[in-house]
Amino acid sequence: MAGLELLSDQGYRVDGRRAGELRKIQARMGVFAQADGSAYIEQGNTKALAVVYGPHEIRGSRARALPDRALVNCQYSSATFSTGERKRRPHGDRKSCEMGLQLRQTFEAAILTQLHPRSQIDIYVQVLQADGGTYAACVNAATLAVLDAGIPMRDFVCACSAGFVDGTALADLSHVEEAAGGPQLALALLPAAGQIALLEMDARLHEDHLEQVLEAAAQAARDVHTLLDRVVRQHVCEASILLGD
Amino acid sequence: MLQKRDKVLLLRTFQGRTLRIVREHYLRPCVPCHSPLCPQPAACRHDGKVLSGDVTHYVIPDWKVVQDYLEILEFPELKGIIFMQTACQAVQHQRGRRQYNKLRNLLKDARHDCILFANEFQQSCYLPRERGESVEKWQTRSIYNAAVWYYHHCQDRMPIVMVTEDEEAIQQYGSETEGVFVISFKGKEYPEHLPLEVLEAGIKSGRYIQGILNVNKHRAQIEAFVRLQGASSKDSDLVSDILIHGMKARNRSIHGDVVVVELLPKNEWRGRTTALCENDSDDKASGECPSEPMPTGRVVGILQKNWRDYVVTFPSKEEVQSQGKNAQKILVTPWDYRIPKIRISTQQAEALQDFRVVVRIDSWESTSVYPNGHFVRVLGKIGDLEGEIATILVENSISVVPFSEAQMCEMPVNTPENPWKVSPEEERERKDLRNTHLVFSIDPQGCEDVDDTLSVRTLNNGNLELGVHIADVTHFVALNSYIDTEARTRATTYYLADRRYDMLPSVLSADLCSLLGGVDRYAVSVMWELDKTSYEIKKVWYGRTIIRSAYKLFYEAAQELLDGNFSVVDDIPEFKDLDEKSRQDKLEELVWAIGKLTDIARHVRAKRDCCGALELEGVEVRVQLDEKKNIHDLIPKQPLEVHETVAECMILANHWVAKKIWESFPHQALLRQHPPPHQEFFSELRECAKAKGFFIDTRSNKTLADSLDNANDPNDPIVNRLLRSMATQAMSNALYFSTGSCAEEEFHHYGLALDKYTHFTSPIRRYSDIVVHRLLMAAISKDKKMEIKENLLSNKDLEELCRHINNRNRAAQHSQKQSTELFQCMYFKDKDPETDERCISDGVIYSVRTNGVLVFIPRFGIKGAAYLKNKDGLVISCGPDSHCEWKPGSLQRFQNKITSTTTGGESVTFHLFDHVTVRIFVQASRCHSDTIRLEIVSNKPYMIPNTELFHQNSLLLKNELVKEVTRSVEEAQLAQEVKVNLIQEEYQEYCQTKGRSLYTLLEEIRDLALLDVSNNCGI
Repeated sequence: MAGLELLSDQGYRVDGRRAGELRKIQARMGVFAQADGSAYIEQGNTKALAVVYGPHEIRGSRARALPDRALVNCQYSSATFSTGERKRRPHGDRKSCEMGLQLRQTFEAAILTQLHPRSQIDIYVQVLQADGGTYAACVNAATLAVLDAGIPMRDFVCACSAGFVDGTALADLSHVEEAAGGPQLALALLPAAGQIALLEMDARLHEDHLEQVLEAAAQAARDVHTLLDRVVRQHVCEASILLGD
Repeated sequence: MLQKRDKVLLLRTFQGRTLRIVREHYLRPCVPCHSPLCPQPAACRHDGKVLSGDVTHYVIPDWKVVQDYLEILEFPELKGIIFMQTACQAVQHQRGRRQYNKLRNLLKDARHDCILFANEFQQSCYLPRERGESVEKWQTRSIYNAAVWYYHHCQDRMPIVMVTEDEEAIQQYGSETEGVFVISFKGKEYPEHLPLEVLEAGIKSGRYIQGILNVNKHRAQIEAFVRLQGASSKDSDLVSDILIHGMKARNRSIHGDVVVVELLPKNEWRGRTTALCENDSDDKASGECPSEPMPTGRVVGILQKNWRDYVVTFPSKEEVQSQGKNAQKILVTPWDYRIPKIRISTQQAEALQDFRVVVRIDSWESTSVYPNGHFVRVLGKIGDLEGEIATILVENSISVVPFSEAQMCEMPVNTPENPWKVSPEEERERKDLRNTHLVFSIDPQGCEDVDDTLSVRTLNNGNLELGVHIADVTHFVALNSYIDTEARTRATTYYLADRRYDMLPSVLSADLCSLLGGVDRYAVSVMWELDKTSYEIKKVWYGRTIIRSAYKLFYEAAQELLDGNFSVVDDIPEFKDLDEKSRQDKLEELVWAIGKLTDIARHVRAKRDCCGALELEGVEVRVQLDEKKNIHDLIPKQPLEVHETVAECMILANHWVAKKIWESFPHQALLRQHPPPHQEFFSELRECAKAKGFFIDTRSNKTLADSLDNANDPNDPIVNRLLRSMATQAMSNALYFSTGSCAEEEFHHYGLALDKYTHFTSPIRRYSDIVVHRLLMAAISKDKKMEIKENLLSNKDLEELCRHINNRNRAAQHSQKQSTELFQCMYFKDKDPETDERCISDGVIYSVRTNGVLVFIPRFGIKGAAYLKNKDGLVISCGPDSHCEWKPGSLQRFQNKITSTTTGGESVTFHLFDHVTVRIFVQASRCHSDTIRLEIVSNKPYMIPNTELFHQNSLLLKNELVKEVTRSVEEAQLAQEVKVNLIQEEYQEYCQTKGRSLYTLLEEIRDLALLDVSNNCGI
């Protein structure tokens, strides 16, 4: 069998999208009542659940407390059933740790942490189904959860992945496209300011193409922002109806 | 906006576990359709190629078609092709990258009018695969669904043809949507053959009919006939053959196959075409009105394939190019018109262009128009005499390898140092006639293989004793020895126009089995004791003998002696050394014997006539020779009486031997039958005779012979000959058969009017005679209550053998005819028809067709077709000087004449038996044999038809023709100088001398119509 054709001559990707098109995004905020904030997002078949606690006092060792700002604690885990082949450990493996760290960096950049010194904000993200772009889904879910928790942020953090095939940048890679092994770029963007919260890239890509891929990712992130914004407004709308305003 | 669907795939991992994979699949409302008919160009956003607008329909190939026949779809002639994404993906998955890249390039190439339609991303075209549905079915369903959508998308303005290989799909979808046609692209060229059980059951129940397929040589593409065979012909009321019209109905059967036929309903019956037609002009017959409808059928199965080696010609350079330069599959044209073209796979097509090549057919699939074959060997150059002769041999399945060493080792030795002698044991067992009987042979001058001798003497009681002594070949050829097996395979000696291929090695045929004068030879004799006055047969004796032929006479000398003209005595070598006295005595003795013999023969014949038999002699001679339709029918008008005498003796011997072996072995004797002819075949003869005012009564052989004798135009003797030749053609062929497989009343020999007949008198040339000799020997042993030494063939084996011999005889006749035609063509080939006097000749019209006439040329014995309407549609017209030219006009055919009327109002009519002047020319053909063509030059006779003169010259003419061709070929080869030795070797091999070769002499025996010599019809 010939290798998969990621982008056909007619400009279609394997799943029928064109190069710049995102997968279908569906999101809900406030899925759990006990938590301070929670959100669920589906980006195509990638499904993620984010829960936020805080800001609250530092649990455990007090030594970790930061005098001038809040501590952002991120934990990432992936359900054993999230991938095609069942996973052994749901969390605590290298990949999860790395992902947690990346999330922490992202959100430290976005949350106005100095408003809550010596306190802690916990962000727990669980991936229920992984089909490419898990980091992006996690960031987007967490953003919604943080918003749900009412923690002040500079802006939405919108993340999206991008890849590069046959001279064309593809936005929002699916698992099939990721597995093909091409260059892959993950971008977390603060869309209003156009600031980059996190940028990470695997594999090698010629410098000349970086701009193009980055632009594709940024555009995708802005598109995600539009959608998330809509979700938030919708949620606020629903919440206010419930409150009886 | 996009719609999201999930696709669930179940994959198997390398560890063997099943893996469930869910993939997204996005559908969109607008996918570019690339059609100029698109109603919403803005939404469809066409970028890149757009289908051309000037096509009559769009073609959508099914996935299987794209996979298997992409090469065909690549032809730029094919326009308006829409490749569905489903099909392309199937190619990608099933056929790999190379094929897929070809497809991609095709789609990219602006010269090809084809596009890809991403049907799986279109929301109304996409169909999810249902549970339990196979991928193939789903793909076909998707493609059809997309085709329907596309059709509606283009607002039903462009019909769509979906090509598929899936029969079910055609049935299911074929008539579902108007405007979307589902058809088979390659499909089946022919229907499948039915399984054998069905065929057998069908034959038994009478639903199907079994028979042998005969393809019409002149309309090989269209017409074939099935001759009924076996039981089926008796049950059904069909009398004629069944017409098989077209290649499709013929269903892959090849000329000679045993096929099973289903009759079509009566309203689909058709008639045979009566117009003259050449094979190369295919649709010529379309305007002609065919004759009355006859039973028509189609082949549903083949019981026995009679495939053999075929001689073919490769297409010439120009033709190859049209077939595609690197095409390794090449269609070759068989020499035999009746065989379809054969597809063979070779790299050497170019090198083999000028050669005649033997190929074999391997298979014929129902999906293929032509059969597949493979190359076997090269025969020789096209147009080269040896090559063409080899072609004729192969086409008739005649194998003429020299006798092997093992076979020759079985042969007795006869050299000057070590001469062959009569062995004492044989001397004891055989009746010795050397001193008691005057044995002599009468043969054509120069004959080497004398297989029959005669004797006659007065017994002590005053009665006469007539003896026929035949060479004892079976003494030398033991049953199932190597030489016997070889002889059985050959079955007969083959005579071609310039050479012969012996059945037995020459040490037997020309020496030890040849009953030459003055030497001791073994013989098998039949001797009758006849009443001295009434010549009534009193007793008959069969047995092995030793004879010494006293005289080896030739016909003319014998006739002279009979007529009392003794001047020929000097020509008889046996008399040379004798003194006057004994010479006189001997001469008297011989003359008495010949006289007595003639007397007896006359009497025997008269007796045959009295018994209700008939005088078919005259018919016989011409009949059998005319049937070859050529030079052979140039025979002396009045054969000498000696011929008849010898012939009558031979018939007598054959008849009595037949009786003997049948009595001894009623179920396993080999006899020869000549079934009575079908009356309907005589209708043409009757019509023709009527045209000349004669009445032919065909009710019995006697009446037929009588009326043929009466049908003699004193002004034109050729009329009678032609009528006789027509009579022959209407007759069935005489055949060998085994008595166990036939009822006794069917043994009858129509031509000779004998109840039993066989072939006994030429064992050197015919294998059937060898079998009869063995049977006779066994019968003698049986009479003597001795055990039969040799195992006789069972009825079944004998029947099989008879079939083989009959086939070989037919092959011998065909090869002889074809070689003669070859020589005729080579003779006329170097003559310029415009100038050479020999190419203009007198001809007689003997048959009228809708667009021409058939003409017989007495001078050369050629029969051929002359068109009255040429290829440009012009008809012949004759000016006042009776010179013919082509003018526009029309033809009108009547019963016995054909009128050609020009637009100018001039008309000329050709009647049956009219004499016309014709020009003979050769129509050359690369793939087939050349043919003689005739053109009418004038509607007046060329010369006063002095046929008497021609008859006398005819033999010379014919010999001259063969000689001239041989000579010119020889000269051509001499010019090459390399082959000189070869030729001489060949002359040795075929025992030819450069002048009057042995073969030409043998040929004369046949021409002189020794009744039993010829193994042809009627005898």
